[in-house]
Amino acid sequence: MAKPKRDIDPVEAKTAILDYCKRKGALVAGVADLDAINRICPPGHRPADMMPRVKSVISLGVGGQTQGAWSVPAKALGYFGSTETRGYTIAYGAAFYIENKYGVPSIYCPPDMDPDAGPRVPLQSLKVHAELAGIGARSLAGDILLHPEFGYMYFASVFTELELEPDAPLETNPCPAPSCVSMYKSIGRTPCMKFCPVQCLDGEVDTETGAQKVMRYDMAACAEMTQQFETVPATLMDAMKAEDEAAREDALFDPDNKILWYKLSAGSGGLFAQCFECMRVCPIATKAPMADPILRYDAAREERERAEAMPKAAAE
Amino acid sequence: MARGFSRQQIGITEEMIETFGDTIFRLSHNHQVREGDPYRLKNWDEVDRQRPNMGLSDDQIADKIGLSRHQVLFIRTILERRRFHTGHYPRLLELGGGRRFRAERFTPHLDHFKFSQDALDLRAAMRFPPAQAKKYIDEGWWQGDTLSKWLDKHAAERPDAPAIRHGDRVLTWAQLADQADRLSRALYSLGIRHGEVVSVQLPNIPEYLIAFLAITRIGGVMNTIHMPYRAAEIETLVNHGRSRAIVCLSEAKDWSPAGTVLGMVDRLDSLDHVIALGAPVDGALSLAQLIESDVDAEPQTVPVASDPFLLLFTSGTTSAPKAVPLSYHTMLSNARVGVPEHEITPDDSILSAAPFSHLFGLYSFHIAIAAGACSVMLPVFTPPDMAATIEREKPTALWTAPAHFAAIRGLGLIDKYDLSSLKMMIMSGSACPEELVRWTAAQLPGCAVTQLWGMTETQGGLYSRPSDGLDVSATSAGRPSPGTEVRIADPETNDAMADGEEGELQVRGPLLFPGYFKNEAANKAAFTEDGFFRSGDLAVMRPDGAVAITGRIKDVINRGGVKFNPRDIEDLLDAHPAVVQSAIVPMPDPVLGEKACAFVMIRPDADPPTLESLCGYLLEHKIAKNKLPERLVVVDEFPMTPTKKIIKGQLEVPA
Repeated sequence: MAKPKRDIDPVEAKTAILDYCKRKGALVAGVADLDAINRICPPGHRPADMMPRVKSVISLGVGGQTQGAWSVPAKALGYFGSTETRGYTIAYGAAFYIENKYGVPSIYCPPDMDPDAGPRVPLQSLKVHAELAGIGARSLAGDILLHPEFGYMYFASVFTELELEPDAPLETNPCPAPSCVSMYKSIGRTPCMKFCPVQCLDGEVDTETGAQKVMRYDMAACAEMTQQFETVPATLMDAMKAEDEAAREDALFDPDNKILWYKLSAGSGGLFAQCFECMRVCPIATKAPMADPILRYDAAREERERAEAMPKAAAE
Repeated sequence: MARGFSRQQIGITEEMIETFGDTIFRLSHNHQVREGDPYRLKNWDEVDRQRPNMGLSDDQIADKIGLSRHQVLFIRTILERRRFHTGHYPRLLELGGGRRFRAERFTPHLDHFKFSQDALDLRAAMRFPPAQAKKYIDEGWWQGDTLSKWLDKHAAERPDAPAIRHGDRVLTWAQLADQADRLSRALYSLGIRHGEVVSVQLPNIPEYLIAFLAITRIGGVMNTIHMPYRAAEIETLVNHGRSRAIVCLSEAKDWSPAGTVLGMVDRLDSLDHVIALGAPVDGALSLAQLIESDVDAEPQTVPVASDPFLLLFTSGTTSAPKAVPLSYHTMLSNARVGVPEHEITPDDSILSAAPFSHLFGLYSFHIAIAAGACSVMLPVFTPPDMAATIEREKPTALWTAPAHFAAIRGLGLIDKYDLSSLKMMIMSGSACPEELVRWTAAQLPGCAVTQLWGMTETQGGLYSRPSDGLDVSATSAGRPSPGTEVRIADPETNDAMADGEEGELQVRGPLLFPGYFKNEAANKAAFTEDGFFRSGDLAVMRPDGAVAITGRIKDVINRGGVKFNPRDIEDLLDAHPAVVQSAIVPMPDPVLGEKACAFVMIRPDADPPTLESLCGYLLEHKIAKNKLPERLVVVDEFPMTPTKKIIKGQLEVPA
């Protein structure tokens, strides 16, 4: 790591770091107020609990779904959420960028659960970071952050010992949208409340100002739908309690549960889809003209060299 | 364990979980309530005030309620598990692509339909050899056909074409579909569910077919009860089939079917509803009102081709019933391929003299609905009614038993009525005399007279085709229906017999039933090891591929070790000028084991023949002496099946 530069301009550094994030694909980026984070987050989940000499928390957001994704069946939409890894990659890069450019220790903030607090408690609240960095505001949909321009995003955070000027939270909260207020006036519920498959959302809207009054979120009910890891031990317990062989077989291998094992397998990097032995011996897969990356590289190099030689030849 | 510590190390008891569990769960992030927007606005007073509602950390909960942090962590996570419901994910499977979750329309999966145990028991009887099932699917015999699909297809494509004609009453396919749909919803609202059995005891009237289509539209199974059956038979059949409801007449000729059933409901423990057609009956629902009703009910499931949809009984109406469960796969594949073989088109109309309570009668409707042809109703067979119906309704095809048409001939009705609309006739249900076929064909030159051999277990197994010509149709039951394998085998060894040799007719194919319902003893006797059904009929395979039915195995008489089939003797006796009909049955003999006993019905105007005179008549016709009947019993009438076949098992030799 480069030695810390004594003449770092925090304004210039902030601009450069946020620019870096956006260049790499973030839609928005900002710096959260560390003191505010500490006032909101409980002990054990404050940035200094992870990085003792942290001075700044940088938050960035990447796009969630493409526009087309909103029309796909729900069973497919569940597979569309992996763009958050793009955010984590940018945050990782930003941490390296800060260390390389300014010589100041930085980390990418893991988005994972706290092993010391069970699987429903994160190490850090990326939501609080993003909210205070001014790149999202809490919605009636279980406090999912929304942005007036970019809508729904995934967030990632960078902790750094570089002191940067914090941004302000968003001036206005885009939720609820005017159409949602209209629906609320009509039926007492917003679309997110009405169409939630487990009915875990509830709340109230100030019908005069159109602002949120109360947001109620039954996270436990939401988790029953969305946190399928908990279904795995529940399924095993069902199998243990099963009255007979057929019921035990159903508990472990009926289609609903078997897909869990598939997801576990895929998630753990185990075999899924293919073992690739058939492709290993396939002449098309292995020996098609441009199947070999080395050949592709060689071809590209020859092309480049030919292009470079052409002006010289023309001149001669 | 929490942080590696056990319950005992942390000091957790079930009582502690019970005492503090709810509070911990409520204070945790599992339930979150936020008022206004305090974080974004950095309104710290509000943040502090609302913190318990927004979800406290375990440390904060521990401080608040006086437990250790580990105790809170442990209890919270245990509560999360105990409150966790699985199985929500399928809620998503119908959403997206413009479809949204609607709580008001959602039925929790646990509350969804499940097959009753009775329905599952019946489905368990639909057990086909896997290799055979694969073959029938691979070869395209078994497809996705159901009655509902065919009905909806005709109603959509030819809504105004006639589906049923009964005198002046005509139901188009659209009207039939509408009435069947109404009745199906009414039955559903009564609690009849997919896979459950509904018995029907009606004459051949439109309501029979409406009920059939309604029952099967909700995935139900129709059990037919022959019209002559009374309390004893009904009790056996309803209890064996576990019928949920029975559809019957309020009043028949000399009794009340609905009243009879209502009078014995305490002995019919599966039966919940009696649905009567006709005058109101206390305690019974009105079929007519149910058909007219417009109940807002939508079954959660639809029938599929592998479902059972018929439960018919072949024998044992008071003990050891042989109940035949039939699937759409078997019956509708047989009907679908039968349509072109019988040369039936959508423009045809089919009259069945056989009752719909018998599979031969139902086959006429299966063929009609497969083709989109019209079914003409003949409620109760009498020779004049059938002849008059043909003259009036002008059906183009007739399903009849030989005895039905023999009666037409016997009464000279063929000269009194115009039967010329018939272009095709199937005779089936009992042994068909050659001379009757030839006589009928001669009387109706525009009509192809054909024969069919089938059983409740098979539907149309063998039949002659209209194009086969009279020689084939008069002398045989024709060739196997498409996809059907038949062989003539030694009934004791099951070895195949050579062409021309008499043996047992054995059948295998996509039409074959899976086995008797709740009668394993009968199943063991019914099938060969390689899956052929032992029909019990004697037959001869001819070189041209046609099969001639020659008798029944159980009718064979074993006289001192010499076995003979009495069919040729019966044919000769039937042709005797004094005899209306005859049957030869074995009678026990202490020396020879069995001897032949002749039962005869005498023409009213004839002198009763003696045993000696009949034997002389038979000897004149070259019958061997050892085959002669050794006893004569004169009867006023024979016990008959619905297709007018003598029930020999009910003929008792007087002591």
